[in-house]
Amino acid sequence: MLELIDVSKKFKQNAAVKSMNMFIEKGEIVGLLGPNGAGKSTAISILSSLVEPTSGDVKYQQKSIIKNPVALRKIIGIVPQEIALYEDLTAEENMKFFGRIYRLKGEKLNMKVQEVLEQIGLSDRRKDMVKTFSGGMKRRLNIGVAMLHDPEILVMDEPTVGIDPQSRHYILQTVKRLNQERQMTVLYTSHYMEEVEFLCDRIYIMDKGSLIASGTKDEIKRILASENTISVKADYWNDAFIEKLKANPVIHQMNVEEKEITFVVSREVNIFTKLAKLAEETNVSLNAVDVKNVTLEDVFLHLTGRALRD
Amino acid sequence: MRGIILARFTSFIRNPWLFALFTGMSIIFALIIGNFGAGNEKVTVPVYGDEALQTDTIGTALAENEVYNFKWMKKEELEETIRRGNAEAGVSIEEDGYEMIVGIESPNVQLIEQTVAAIYTDKIQAANLLAVSDAQTEAEKEELLAAFQHAKEEPVFEITNQSFHSSETFLFDNGLHSLFGFTLFFVIYTICYNVLPILIEKKAGVWDRMILSPMKKWEMYIANLIYSFFEGYLQVVIIFTVFRFIVGMDFQGKFPAILLIMIPYVFAIVSLAIFLTALVKNTQQFNAALPIVSVSMAMIGGAFWPIEIVQSEFLLALSKINPLTYGMEALNGLVIYNTPLDQLLMPISILLLMGVIFMGVGIHLMERRHV
Ligand SMILES: Nc1ncnc2c1ncn2[C@@H]1O[C@H](COP(=O)(O)OP(=O)(O)O)[C@@H](O)[C@H]1O
Ligand SMILES: [Mg+2]
Repeated sequence: MLELIDVSKKFKQNAAVKSMNMFIEKGEIVGLLGPNGAGKSTAISILSSLVEPTSGDVKYQQKSIIKNPVALRKIIGIVPQEIALYEDLTAEENMKFFGRIYRLKGEKLNMKVQEVLEQIGLSDRRKDMVKTFSGGMKRRLNIGVAMLHDPEILVMDEPTVGIDPQSRHYILQTVKRLNQERQMTVLYTSHYMEEVEFLCDRIYIMDKGSLIASGTKDEIKRILASENTISVKADYWNDAFIEKLKANPVIHQMNVEEKEITFVVSREVNIFTKLAKLAEETNVSLNAVDVKNVTLEDVFLHLTGRALRD
Repeated sequence: MRGIILARFTSFIRNPWLFALFTGMSIIFALIIGNFGAGNEKVTVPVYGDEALQTDTIGTALAENEVYNFKWMKKEELEETIRRGNAEAGVSIEEDGYEMIVGIESPNVQLIEQTVAAIYTDKIQAANLLAVSDAQTEAEKEELLAAFQHAKEEPVFEITNQSFHSSETFLFDNGLHSLFGFTLFFVIYTICYNVLPILIEKKAGVWDRMILSPMKKWEMYIANLIYSFFEGYLQVVIIFTVFRFIVGMDFQGKFPAILLIMIPYVFAIVSLAIFLTALVKNTQQFNAALPIVSVSMAMIGGAFWPIEIVQSEFLLALSKINPLTYGMEALNGLVIYNTPLDQLLMPISILLLMGVIFMGVGIHLMERRHV
């Protein structure tokens, strides 16, 4: 129902987004994953009609929103990357302020505010000023404020940055619940793999302004289908074992730790018998050999040669 | 729009400290530097000369002076006083001339010299008058001098000076001047720190939220600017009210006119603030730029010392695009030079014009630079 068509955005000489294509269907949770500076915020600002693209088009229900964004603006709610609240107002006052700018008033506004405060778990702190809140509570309120006008699409820009694990868990659960109970469509931006993996049906991976992969979780992981990540465990290693492993041409991206060695190897290779033989030759007693599940982190590493968060 | 103003106002009520600080600073600085605490105590100026001169016309005129307390002393005593810095300058009085003995160069020195020079001019005028007249007896002479004195105090032809910068007639009232100066100076801070949230809220995404809502962009600007105007103007009103009703200055009955004339000034500063906000990239830059801009404005606009002291052509040219210059000009014109309000239309309309230009350019830049 909402799509980016060949969208690019340049800030002076700096291309923040390069011919990007993307779509979101009703009821989905779509993830947009990428390291800092990848262009995620720019992409979703274009998608929410806040920034005009340098070229390309944005369509909501087949109609371009670049010149006429009114229809989209009515049904979209955004959760900015920063805390976009009045620090000197209470949680409730903030809610009412942002409710009123959507022309809610009176009893209807009050009820909506109470309802959302409950959803984000801040009812008991509603009379407290935002500046007394923890990072997690501010983040929750930041999300709550975006839901007052019952948006059909919620666009969230890294909503869990810099908060404690409980708050993070709470937010992820809330998003999932909103999607399941109210069929709210969600575009979730993050640089945390786990979050996107947990929440999203479909995922876009972005790096340096371009999409480098997209599809369902399984589709993306199948990019690595031809390779396995192997984990080998033992109480200790000796140099001969490590040297010989390194010298083997089918093994790459090897990483040696005290009691675990991981590496990537093509699927066709039968690595188990090789490992057993090598261990015997060098007198290393192996505790375990596992094939690791492919994670999005691995995909990112595979596609860009870099870890997602460095 | 009402919502934004209300939200800003609520934040202000909960956090009025910055406002209180700038208001308090204006009042305290004006009180201290304007010498209000010392009541109407005159500045003492040491003088020396022949004893006979002390009772002469010159001596009497010096004693009657309303601004300075001329104190006769011995030459050595005078030099000692000046050397120790207890007086900025002294005067050596002679029958038909005087000599300034200057310790520290300050605006006061010029003023003292002008005062003394005026007394000598009067004496010479009176002597010339007597010489050309045919007055014979003492009584006749006295009558003539009395008439001369009367004519000086209530002239038949009033010569009003259109230019405020004419150096011959430049009047200086330390108390009023520092009050005006510090008020116009510190209100720049209050206003700028009220316009700054526009930048902060834009960066944080508060404005994005509003843009997506049915609210219009212009409502967002107007609401924030109206609010900034309100807080700046409130500060000015509080300061002048304190000086009118607590310190007890009468402003020559011009109190309402002062408040009126501050409207275009505060408006111009609000516009300047939005212009400045549009030029900076972030709060840090803003914090660095604000004191530079405001202090320069105060220095070349005549807030710290009379603009008459500024000599450089370049700085004078710069002062012409400085709202503070016109604010000072309007206030000085009103209270010190007693100019009627309608003759102050010039500075007032310049302030309004500057307000419109700075605001237009400022908002335009803001829209272009901070997406
Ligand atoms: N308003 C802007 N002006 C200039 N450059 C910008 C602006 N916004 C973003 N950029 C640049 O575009 C790139 C992408 O930024 P952003 O979309 O914020 O990435 P992300 O959200 O993935 O961290 C960065 O290099 C950033 O410096
Ligand atoms: Mg971002």
